[in-house]
Order: sequence, then structure tokens, then C-alpha cells
Amino acid sequence: MEKIQKKSHSFRIGNYINYIVITIALISFIILDNAGFLGRSDLNLLSRIGYSIVLAVSLNLVVGFLGELSLGHAGFMCVGAYIGCYFANSFHEIIGNQIITFVISLILGGLVSAVFGFIIGLPALRLKGDYLAIVTLAFGEIVRNLFKNLPYFGKAMGMQTDAIALERDTMYISSFIIILVVLFLIQNLIKSKHGRAITAIRDNEIAAKAMGINITYYKLFVFTFAAFFAGVAGVMYGHQISPITQETFSYNYSIEILVMVVLGGMGSITGSIVAATVITYINFVLQNELSGELAALKLLIYAIILIIVVIFNNAPKLKPIKEKCNIKYLFARIFNHHKKPEKINDDAAEWNRIESKINMDAILSMEIDVKSNTAFTPDKSEKGDK
Amino acid sequence: MKNTFRIASILLALVMMLTCFAGCGEDEKSENVYFIGATGPLTGDTAVYGIAVKNGAELAIDEINKAGGLNGVKFKFEIKDDKATPADAATGYDALYDAGMQISLGSVTSGACESFAAKAAKDNLFFITPSASAANVIEGRSNAFRVCFGDPDQGVLAAEEIAKNFDKIGAIYDTSDTYSSGIYDAFKAEMKKLNKEYIEQSFDNENKKDFAAQVEALKDCDVIFMPIYYTEAGLIAKACVAKECDAILYGCDGFDGIETQLKDGSVKNKIKYITPFDINSTEEKSAAFVKAFKAKYNEDPNQFAADGYDAVYVIYEAMKAAGIDDADIDPSDLCDKVVKAITDKSFSYKGVTGGMTWDASGACTKVPVIVELG
Amino acid sequence: MNINILLDGLSLGAIYALIALGYTMVYGIAKMLNFAHGDIIMVGAYAILTTITMYSNPIVALAIAVIVCMLMGILIEKIAYKPLRGASPLAVLITAIGVSYFLQGIAQLIFGAESKPIELPNMGNFKLLGASIRVSSIITLVIGAIIMAALSVFIKTTRTGRAMLAVSEDKAAAQIMGVNVNRIIMITFAIGSALAAFASLFYLMSIPSVTPTLGAMPGIKAFTAAVIGGIGSIPGAMVGGILLGVVENICKSIPFLSNYTTAIEFSLLIIILLVRPIGLLGKKRREKV
Repeated sequence: MEKIQKKSHSFRIGNYINYIVITIALISFIILDNAGFLGRSDLNLLSRIGYSIVLAVSLNLVVGFLGELSLGHAGFMCVGAYIGCYFANSFHEIIGNQIITFVISLILGGLVSAVFGFIIGLPALRLKGDYLAIVTLAFGEIVRNLFKNLPYFGKAMGMQTDAIALERDTMYISSFIIILVVLFLIQNLIKSKHGRAITAIRDNEIAAKAMGINITYYKLFVFTFAAFFAGVAGVMYGHQISPITQETFSYNYSIEILVMVVLGGMGSITGSIVAATVITYINFVLQNELSGELAALKLLIYAIILIIVVIFNNAPKLKPIKEKCNIKYLFARIFNHHKKPEKINDDAAEWNRIESKINMDAILSMEIDVKSNTAFTPDKSEKGDK
Repeated sequence: MKNTFRIASILLALVMMLTCFAGCGEDEKSENVYFIGATGPLTGDTAVYGIAVKNGAELAIDEINKAGGLNGVKFKFEIKDDKATPADAATGYDALYDAGMQISLGSVTSGACESFAAKAAKDNLFFITPSASAANVIEGRSNAFRVCFGDPDQGVLAAEEIAKNFDKIGAIYDTSDTYSSGIYDAFKAEMKKLNKEYIEQSFDNENKKDFAAQVEALKDCDVIFMPIYYTEAGLIAKACVAKECDAILYGCDGFDGIETQLKDGSVKNKIKYITPFDINSTEEKSAAFVKAFKAKYNEDPNQFAADGYDAVYVIYEAMKAAGIDDADIDPSDLCDKVVKAITDKSFSYKGVTGGMTWDASGACTKVPVIVELG
Repeated sequence: MNINILLDGLSLGAIYALIALGYTMVYGIAKMLNFAHGDIIMVGAYAILTTITMYSNPIVALAIAVIVCMLMGILIEKIAYKPLRGASPLAVLITAIGVSYFLQGIAQLIFGAESKPIELPNMGNFKLLGASIRVSSIITLVIGAIIMAALSVFIKTTRTGRAMLAVSEDKAAAQIMGVNVNRIIMITFAIGSALAAFASLFYLMSIPSVTPTLGAMPGIKAFTAAVIGGIGSIPGAMVGGILLGVVENICKSIPFLSNYTTAIEFSLLIIILLVRPIGLLGKKRREKV
């Protein structure tokens, strides 16, 4: 107990590691860029990583923290991209300053997207698991279909945004700043009492309800909040790629974001950041290296990487092997070679490794057949019954 | 924290692996080569068009290089996959530019090409797209040219032809596709001008396999105007057979290649389409191209392949006319010179898709042929 | 309204229903969304394409396709899903997506990206009450209904079928009762993939061309159909598939609505789920604490 308290009071680098790493990365990229080491495709990659991280982190809020499967994140992004950039297209000349226009359109795109998030949050109150997943998928496709047919957004040709496109270097720097802001908002939310309420809903909705947590409020809140950031990511996308076409935001893209979240680890913000970076990078490398004839291999390689990484990460049988390959374990062995390795592995007694865990869910949910009309009869036999 | 470390370790290993991979693959632009870049869909739904352009362009590059290149300098061609998305086309453009691309074929599909063109315009890099026919790809861009017909021109031409010869007219188009809706919009406007009634049907990207409902509505027409690609056109033709509809199917240049879809002979409908390229042409150049293409890839070339082939030759001829002799020429300088040469009144090129000339708008003037099948 | 539109909708619906049956079975028993199911249809379609160019007999082609798909289903289950038994369902979802990409990539490598036309014998039309009806639509509907009935009987009466029910109810309890859970899941995948092979034949009968991405959209539509009908319910898949097919065809035939077909279909799904969160014929499950 004492140890825990001490831990929470002291400065833990773990709480700030994301900010620190991203700031260092940004500064080093700026230095590298000014020194001329970064080509334009590197800057393009950085901007792509930028909105991917925002998408992954915000989806993690829904999937990892609230525990609801959403396959419509690209739909929110679509709303943000179209609305935000439509605004920017119409008003950039009046406002004059590119950066101010960008910021306003970010907020506007995010807000409109948040409204949609609220709307899609409503069925989430009634639906669960895979049913909710298909509803969110349906939502994404509906949004796409509507934007395709509305005359204001260029129809099949898509909406052109060259007029408002940011320069490559402005784009990646602002992407990183947006990431920092998003991280600040999301990490603080998670650490607050609201964050604990959200994770409580994930772990056990009924128990959370019994504890007095307002499920309706929190579910709607998380959907709205995550949709806001997806909309922001959409505006970021629209400011670096012209034209915005609805095909981009198909359910396949939602799935790609989900892949980032799952590979990064559910409920791990750092994980989402790392996975978003790596997956965007893999796609980038595959696209650039496998040109011409080899392009067909791209899908294969990506698929194989995906399957292998997921199986390696999640397969229950591979757990012992995985722990041997664990970097932390290796370091521990190097630095503490005189000690026994089992003792170093601090989570050796992790809950999920106990094979004989009793399934409390199953026991608690046993259905007791109480017929409503029959009168209550106590177990004890009545007198004279003998 | 443990989880993070675990993931980080795996991902780190992966990144390192891929960086090695990236490092090996990177080759500097070797001396004395002109680098032609392009992007196109090589995977996904529309891969067939991107691959056709790639094959056509590579054939042309091989021929040019075999003949000694331009003043002894050879050409190098690279096409990146863009899955027909603007985002990947932009990435592809940046990567190609970094790798030393000097001149380009743009992108294969209109949406992606728009993204490519926006970036190319900023760098003043010359491109001539084989197949991105949407009007705004070349509009207002001095560096942008195309080999194919523009969408509106085909729509107007088709409307005139159809209104003149037929009475009961139907039309079906793809609302998700720029090419299709571009032609259709022009067709619609022209039909309105000509005061002709017709039945309109449409489909989109999510519903482009089953055409029973649309053909049901169109089955009493004499002619169905279909400004769509041949894959869907083949399916509509077969739906016509199932519905016992004997209308003439009237298409645009996207129809080219429809023969490959109708090999079984079940479709008895007459098919007509406007195209610059006729695979059965006896004209010497086209015949030679078809033969060479079949020999190399063991399949029939379609209009995309022909356009890709021509686009490379146009670049070659224009560079020759501009008197380029420096393999290290800057893309922007090259662009200015090539634009000057290509828009010159004396410049024309006779390719497998017919004789072509260009003006400053970037649009190509060539004579369409109306091909009839069945 | 033209009766033909309704009939075409029915035959499209029958195809969706067949695919949805496979989806629903796998979901009901393995509790996973098999996103690769649509691509099994694509595999079946290529199998039919290859055999029909050699033998030109649709029955032989169907038999080969059934075998290929079954083997493929079992193989995928063994390699990609079995190691993850007991892991989070999302991990399985991701490998399913990986498998889907993999199959598409392989298909493009082997057969190329272009759409291959396929020649299936044209069964012609017959006239009824002034409407011309495609024979293939009727066959699709009849076979779909037969398969559905056979599946229901199989599950209710045979030992394996009851074991499947037990596994879908509670894996651990079924294991304790002596059911070989791994074997049952394998059989489920085999049956689901065989149904996909049937679906690919009927798909090709009305849409005679094969591409590597052929399975993606029907897969999603069938998934939608399965959810509309109540995922896990066999008659539900049938009802959902047919409803979706008819609605889709009606929308497509009205020029004013045809652009919004996808939006209308998916809105239908959302509305049905809001009214009945378990789908039309889904079974209500008690909430567990």
C-alpha cells in the first residue's frame, strides 16, 4: 500500500512519455528538415502519420476504453473532411490567413462530426457488440453515399481543396501540434474520474450502472468526443490531399484504423500511437517499394504481417515464447543476471495466467426460474408435512 | 507498461526489418536516363485499367530503348500503385519526385490524377495522362496534357449521333465514377438542347454487379447510351440477354475491351462505341502495336494500353522536337521546353489511337472512330 | 410496380441469403465475424471458372468449388483462427481481415486483376402472368430454401448438429459434456464455406464475371442481411437476405432513389435494429452480470 501511494505521488515519466517523445520527434524533424535531410515524401509520410495517430487514438477511446466496437470511424472523418474543407474553401479568401482558416475549419469540422457522433451514439445505448459494429459500419456507408450525391461537394469528382492545401512543412508541424493537443485532452480525460467511469462501463456495464454511473451520458459523451477528433483528422486530411473523394472513407478505411487500435493494444494510448505510425509506415514503404509488377504483392505482404503480428501478440499458446522474447525480460536478464529471472518478471502471477480461473460471469448469470404466479414457498418443509 | 514494451519490441523489430528493406530497394537515379513516372491503380477494383496502362507504357519504353533512346539516352519508367485514391497518388507523386522523376504520365484515373496534377502544377512538371479524361484535370494547368478524349466532347458527340438516329432512348451511368458522370452530364445537357426525351438509369460503386432492375426499366428502348467502362458494360449486356432486350448498346471509349467480356457469344445486341483505338484496325501502326502487345503479354490490348503506349511516345516525340539532350535536366525546365514543343502548330503525332495535336489547354484533338460489333 | 422487379429482387435476395447463411452459422457457433467469408465466395467463383473451362458442366464445377471452398475454410480456420481461440474476439476479427486481404492478393497474382467472363449455360426465361421470369432465379430461390431447411433439420436432429448448438450456447460447458469443440468449429467452417461455394455458383448465374474483389460487397451486404434477420438465426438469414435483395432492387429501379440505394439499405438495417435490437428473428439473450 505504501509503495503504491509513493508511486502515485512521485513524478512518473510514464505519464508524460508520449508528450516528450512526440515533442522530441517534432523538434528533430524540424532540424532535419531545415538541414535538408527530409525529402518531400518523408514530409508526406509525416503528415499521413499525423492524422493516422489522431484517428487511432480517438478510436481507441471508443473501442479500447468504452469497449464498444465501432466500424464507422472513417464516416466521421468523412463528415469532418467535407464540412471543414467546404468551410475553408468558401471562407479562406475572406479570412485571409491560412492558419486561422485551418484552425477554424478544424474546430468546425470536428463539431459537425461530433453531432454525427452523438446521433450514432444513440443506437449505441440500445445495441451491443457486433450489432453496434454493423450499425456503425452502416452509418459510415450512409454518410459516404449522402456526400457523394449532394451537389455541393463535387459529386463523383470529389471536392477540390488545392486552394486551401497547406505547405508540406506547415502541414507536418501542425499535425504534430494537433497530436499533442489531442493527447492532452484524451489522456486527461482518461485519468479523470470520467475516464474511470468509462472504463468501468467497459469492464461491466451493469455493475457500473449499479454503482451510479450514468451510462447514457458517458456512452454518448465518448462517441461524441471520439467523433470530434475523427472530424479533426478529416480536416487535416483535406488540407493535404486534394480532391477529397468519398471512396477514401469506405469501411475498409475504418477497418484499417481499427487494426491500428487492436495492434497497439486496446486501451493503450501509447500503443495506438506506435501502431498508427508503424502501419502507416508499412503501407507507405510497401506502396513505394513495390511499384509496377510487384504491386500485387503489397496486399499479400500486408496481410501476412497482419496475421503474424496478431497471432503472435494474442495467441494464448504463444504466451511463454513471447515472454522470453520480451525486451523488458531481456534487459532484466542483462542487468540482473545474478537474480533468478522468474523473480524479475513482475507480472508472473498475472490474473489471466491462472488457468483454473473460475468463470464468475457464468455463475452469477445462472437463470433462476421464478414463476411469477406461484406463491412463495420457503425451503423448509412445513410442519406435519412429514 | 509491460504491454507497451511488448508491442514496442515487436514493432521496433518490424520497423528495422522494413528500413533494411527500404534501404536495399532504393536506387539512385543512374546517369543518363530520362525518368518517366506515373501512378495508377495496380491493385483493387480498378486495377485492370492501371495494369493496362502500365503494360502499354512499358512496351513503348522497351521499344524506344531498343531503338537507342533519345540521342543515346535511354528512358526509365516507373508506375506506383495508387489504388485510384487521391491520397496514394499524392504519396506516389512525392516518392517519384524524390527519386528524380523528370516527366510524367500523371495518373490513370481522374480522381487520383486530379491530386497528382495539383502537385505537379506546383512543381511545374510536365505530364500527359493517358486516360484521366475529367475536364478539371487539365483545366487551368499549363503543364497538364492528355492523350484521351475529354469527357464532355464524347457526351456531346454521342448525344448528337443518338438523337439523330434513334427514337426510344435510354441511358445508364455510374454516379460514383468521374469518367462516367462527366460524359453523362454533357450528354444530358446536349439532349436537353436537342429537346429529346430519354429514360435515365444509374448505378454506383457499391451496386455495380447486378443490373436486373435497371435493364428492366430500359428494355423497351431502341438504344441504350452507356458511358461506362467495359467491365460493367459486359454485365449490362448479359443482363440484356437475360431480359430479352435487344437494344443497341452505345458506348464511349471506355467500352473498348468489351469483346473480352462477351466471348461466349450469348450477347446478340448490336454494340457501337466511340473510340480512338480499334483493335481490329488494319492500319500499320495499330496492327504492329497489337501484335507486339500480344507477343509480350499474351493478351489483347485495350484502349488504356493503347493510350499508355501513345502517351510515352508523345513524350518521346515532344522531347525530340524540343531538342532535349541533357539527361540531368530539371523537371521545370524540361516542362517549359516540352510544352512549347507540343503546343507548336507544326507538332503532331500519329499514334495507335490516331493522329493527335494539342493546344495550350492541354486537350487533345483527334478523330474518333465509331466501332460496331455484332 | 412491375412484377419483374420484385422477382429480380427475390433472386438477388436468395444469393444474399445463401451467403448470409454461412455468415450466421460461423457467427452463431464460433462467435466471430468472419470478414473473409465474402472472399471464400470469390475463391469458389474462381474454382467454378477454372473447372467450367475444362468440363463445361455446372454440376461438376459446383462439386469442385464445394471441395475447394471447404478445404479453404478448414485451412483458414486452422491457420488464422484456431491459434486465437480464447483470445479477444477483436484479434480474430483482425486476422479475418488479414485473410481477406491475403485471398484477394493471391487471386490477383494467380488470375490477374481483370474481370473474367464466365460461360454458364443460359437456362432461359418462362412467361407467367405476362412477366418473364428467369429460370435461374427460381432455382436459386428453391435451392436456397432447401439448404435452409436441410440446415435446420441437420442442426436440430443430428448429433453433430446438437453439438453445434451446445458449442454456440457455451463452449466450456460443451467441452465438459464431451463435445470436441475444435472439431465442431472446424465442421462449422467447412459447412459455411460449402454454402459459400453454392452462393458463388448462383452469384455467377446472374452476374457472370469473376474478379479478385468480387466477394467484398456481397460479403458486407450478406452480413447486413444476417444482422437484419438476427445473427445466429438460420431462418433469420434467409428472411434478412430476401428482404435486403428486394429492397435493393426496388430502390435501384426508381431513378430518383437509385443513387441512394446503399444509404436506404443501411438505414433499413439501423431502423430494424433500433426497433428490434436482436434482428427480426434473433433470439433474446439474457444479460449477464
